Amino acid sequence: MSILSMKLGRAGARTGQAKQNANPSFVHWRFAVVLIVIVAVFAVLALRAAFIQVIEPDILIEQGDNRTLRTRALPNHRGLITDRNGQELAVSIPVRAIWADPKIIHQNNALQDTRRWQALANVLGQDVQSLYDRVNNPERRFVYIQRQVSPAMADYVEQLDIDGIYLRNESRRYYPTGEVSAHVIGFTDVDDKGLEGIERLYDDWLTGTPGTRKIRRDAKGRQVEIIEMEQGEKAGNIQLTIDQRIQSIAYKELKKAVTFYKATSGSAVVVDVHSGDILAMVNSPSFNPNNRADAAPHRVRNRAITDAFEPGSAVKPLAVLSALEFGVADKDTVIDTHPGWMRVGGALVQDLRNNGELDLTGIIQKSSNMGTSKLALSVPREFLLDTYYKMGLMSDTGTNLLGESSGIFHQRNRWSQFELSTLSFGYGLSVTTLQMARMYTILANGGMKRPLNMVVNDEEVYAERVISAENARLLLGMLESVTQDGGSGTKAAIPGYRVAGKTGTSRKAIAGGYGEEYVNIFAGIAPVSEPRLVTVVLINEPGGDLYHAGDTAAPVFGAIMSSALQLLNVPPDARNVSSMASVMGGLPRAD
Amino acid sequence: MIRTKLETNKQTWLQHLHIDGWLLLGLIVLMGVGLVTIYSAGGQDVELVQRQFIRLGVALVVMFALAQVPVGAYRRVAIYFYLAGLAMLVAVLIVGVVGKGAQRWLDLGVIRFQPSEIMKLAVPMLVAWYISKENLPPRIQHITIGFIMVLTPTLLIAKQPDLGTSLLIASSGLFALFLAGMSWKLITIVGGLASAFAPIMWFFLMQDYQKQRVLTFMDPESDPLGAGYHIIQSKIAIGSGGWEGKGWLQGTQSQLEFLPERHTDFIFSVFSEEFGLLGVLALLAIYIYIIVRGMLIAVRAQDAFSKLLAGSLTLTFFVYVFVNMGMVSGILPVVGVPLPLVSYGGTSMVTLMAGFGILMAISTQKRLLVRE
Repeated sequence: MSILSMKLGRAGARTGQAKQNANPSFVHWRFAVVLIVIVAVFAVLALRAAFIQVIEPDILIEQGDNRTLRTRALPNHRGLITDRNGQELAVSIPVRAIWADPKIIHQNNALQDTRRWQALANVLGQDVQSLYDRVNNPERRFVYIQRQVSPAMADYVEQLDIDGIYLRNESRRYYPTGEVSAHVIGFTDVDDKGLEGIERLYDDWLTGTPGTRKIRRDAKGRQVEIIEMEQGEKAGNIQLTIDQRIQSIAYKELKKAVTFYKATSGSAVVVDVHSGDILAMVNSPSFNPNNRADAAPHRVRNRAITDAFEPGSAVKPLAVLSALEFGVADKDTVIDTHPGWMRVGGALVQDLRNNGELDLTGIIQKSSNMGTSKLALSVPREFLLDTYYKMGLMSDTGTNLLGESSGIFHQRNRWSQFELSTLSFGYGLSVTTLQMARMYTILANGGMKRPLNMVVNDEEVYAERVISAENARLLLGMLESVTQDGGSGTKAAIPGYRVAGKTGTSRKAIAGGYGEEYVNIFAGIAPVSEPRLVTVVLINEPGGDLYHAGDTAAPVFGAIMSSALQLLNVPPDARNVSSMASVMGGLPRAD
Repeated sequence: MIRTKLETNKQTWLQHLHIDGWLLLGLIVLMGVGLVTIYSAGGQDVELVQRQFIRLGVALVVMFALAQVPVGAYRRVAIYFYLAGLAMLVAVLIVGVVGKGAQRWLDLGVIRFQPSEIMKLAVPMLVAWYISKENLPPRIQHITIGFIMVLTPTLLIAKQPDLGTSLLIASSGLFALFLAGMSWKLITIVGGLASAFAPIMWFFLMQDYQKQRVLTFMDPESDPLGAGYHIIQSKIAIGSGGWEGKGWLQGTQSQLEFLPERHTDFIFSVFSEEFGLLGVLALLAIYIYIIVRGMLIAVRAQDAFSKLLAGSLTLTFFVYVFVNMGMVSGILPVVGVPLPLVSYGGTSMVTLMAGFGILMAISTQKRLLVRE
C-alpha cells in the first residue's frame, strides 16, 4: 500500500508540474484515499467470500444438499403368500394411483377446463364439486384423487391430460381365494401395510426393505445423477402350511352347516398329526378380503383362535387320561355310575340316564359325567390340572398368530370337589378351537407334544412326551367307540376309515348361570390305526331343532375329514368295510 | 521512467492507436472469464456465448472509437450531451416502454435503448467539466450546483424505477465532486442530509418491490420462498464452492437451475461455486488491477477535467463490482447491477466500454500532448 501511494505521489508530483491551475497534491491525496477505500472494500468482499466459502460453508452446503439431494425408494412388490402346495393365496398386482398437485393446477388455471374435470369425475364416479374442493388449496403439493385404479381407468385419466393431475404406480393386494382363507391371511391397507392375519404378522418380511436411491435433482425435480444405490432386502414370500384344497372343502362344509343349523358362527381346523401343520383353518361367517365394504368386525375375526368356549364333553378324555396316567385306573377298570346322579359338595352331578356300571370306554362312549367326575376326583388335584396343562390347554398353540387366545382358566388356590368334577366334563374353563385341535393332536401323536405351525419352515421342532404312548393308544381306542354304534358321534363315521372322536355339547354361559344356547364341538382323529389328521369342528349357537354336537358338528367333521383323507391319499384302515362303503362300490384305493 | 526498447515500441504502437495496453489486457482477461462463466451458467448454450461474444466485439469497437476522440471534444460536448440525456429521461417517463415492471426504455423505431445509460457517461462528464472550469478546490456554490446536476437525473431514474442505475449515476457524480476536493465539512453535511433523505426516499420514492428488497436483505430467511430466495440460493451456491470450487460446469446449485438470473446479475454465484475462493480472489485481483490502472490514468492525466472524468469513470466501475458482489454475497440489498464485463447483457456493457474508451483517450492523448 505504501509503495502504491508513494508511486501515486510521485506520479502526481510529476503531473502537477505540467499543470498550473490546480492544487495537484491535494487532489492526489484524495485519489490515494479513494484507492485505499477501494482496496479496503475489496478486502471486505474477499473476506465475505472466504467466510461463506471456507470458514462457515457447512450450513450452506447442507442447505444446498437439502435442495438437491433426495432419497427415493425403489418400488418393492409385496411378497406372495402361498399354501403348502404353492397355490397363491395373496398376490400383488400393479395398479395406478391418481394424484393432484394443486399448486400446478392453480398455476396453469387447469380448473378452467371444466369439461375435462367433469370427465375425470365421471370416470372416478365422484362428484365434480368434491374434486374441486380437494384441489382447492394452492399451497398443497400432493393430494390423492383416487388410489388403486385399474390400468384401463388410468389410461383414460392419462389421456384427459389435465395439468397437475398425475399418476403413480402402486400395487394392490389381491386374494384369489377370497373369503375361504380371508381369516388366516388377513389383509393390507391401501398403502400395502398388513393389518390383519399373516399379512400383519409377517408384514416386515413380506414388505422387505425397499431399496433406496440417493439422487441429485435439479430445480425442476429432474434426476441429474445417482449418488448411491442401496439394494434393499427383497420382499419375502410366505408359504403357509394350509392346504388350500382341504381349506376350501372345510369352508364349504362349515358354511353350509352354519346356514343349515342356523348357527351364529362356526369354526373348523384340520391339523397334520405328525408335523403339527395346520392344513385348514376356516370360520364362518367370513368376508371378502378383496372388497371389504361389508367386512364387519364379527366377520373379520379369526374365531378359531380368538374365541374361547367351554368345551363340554370334548375334554372328557382328559379325566380318563389323568386316571390312567396316575395309575388309579387301567383299561379294565369299571366305574359304577348308578343311579345316574350324585351330589358333590352339595351340588348335583348327573348323567342323562342311568348307565349303571361302565368301563372307561363306556364312560367315553356314553359321555358319562358321573364317570369322569369320579375319575377326576380319584387323582390328586394338582395332577389333574397338570394333565390339562400338558395337553395344551391354558397355553397358546405355538403358531404365534395374532389375536390368539390361550383360553380362560382361572388359577385358584382352592378347588372345590364340584369345581374339579365340572372341569372333568368341560365346564369352568374355556378353550379355543385350535387348542382343542392341539389336544387331540397330542393324543393322536402318541403323547408327543409340539407346537402347531401355520408357516412352513425348516426349523426342527422339539417334541416333548407328555403322556405315555400306551395310554394315548388306549384312549384312541376308547374314542373310536364314540363313532361306532351306540356312541354319541356316529354321524362322524367315515366309510373305509376308523375314526376316533368326541362330541361336546355345552351350554353357553350367560350372566348368572347357563342359558339356552349351545356350543357344539366335535373333535376327532383318523385313521385310528395310524393317525394322520385331527379335525375339530365347532358350531356356535345352532338355532334350529338340532343342537347336539352329534347331530351338527359330527357330520361336518365327517365330511371334512373324509375329503381330507382322500385328498392326502391316506390308505383306508377299516377292516370291516361298512355297508355304506359297499353300496358306494367298494373302497377307493384299497391298497 | 525507465522502459525497455521493446516496451517503448509497443507502447508507441498502441499509443498510436490510442489504446492503453495495460488496461486493455485487464479488460480482455475479464471478458474471457465472463464468456467462460456464461457458457457454464447458461446451461452450456453456445448461442448465448456467441451473442455475448458479438456484444463484446461491438463494445470493443465503441471503446476503440471513443478512444480516438480528442479529450477536448468531450469537454466541449459535455453540457449538450447531458441536456440531451436529461430530455430523453423525461421522455421516458412520459412515453417510455414498460418492461419488467419499470419504465426504462425509449423506443426510437429502429432501436430501443435506455437513456439512463447515456447519463452514466454524461453526469461525470458534466460535473468534471463544470468543476474543472473553476479553481480547485471548488467553492460551496459550485458544489451545490454540481449536486443538482447529479441529483436531477438520479431522481428521474429512481422514478422509473431503476435503483441500480440511479445509484451508479449518483456515485459517479459524487465521486467527481469528491475527487475535485470537496471539503470534509461539506462531505459530513451531505452525508447527514443523505441520511435525513433516506426516510423520505423510503416513504415517497421507493416502490414496494424496492422496499421489499431492503427488508429481505435485512432478513433473507423471513421470506425464503419469495424475495429472500435469490439471496439464499446465491449464498448457498457460493458457499458450496469451498476453496477450489467444484470445477467448471460442475456447480450444482447453478447448473441445476436453483439459482435465478444466474447468467446475468447472479453470475458471480456461479463463478464462486465453480472456481471457489481461489477463483474469487483471482477475479478480485483482476478488478483491482483494472481499477488501479484507471486511477493511475486519472492521476497522470494532464488537466483537471481529465483527472476528474477518469477518476469518476473508474470509480463507477468499482461501484459496479462492489454493489454486484455485495448483493450476491448478501452484504448489500438486491439491486439490479450486473457484474461488469462478466454478466451476460448488452446495454450496460457497451456503456462501460465507452467509459473505458474515454479513459484510453485520456491515457494516450496526454502523452501525445506531452510529446508535442
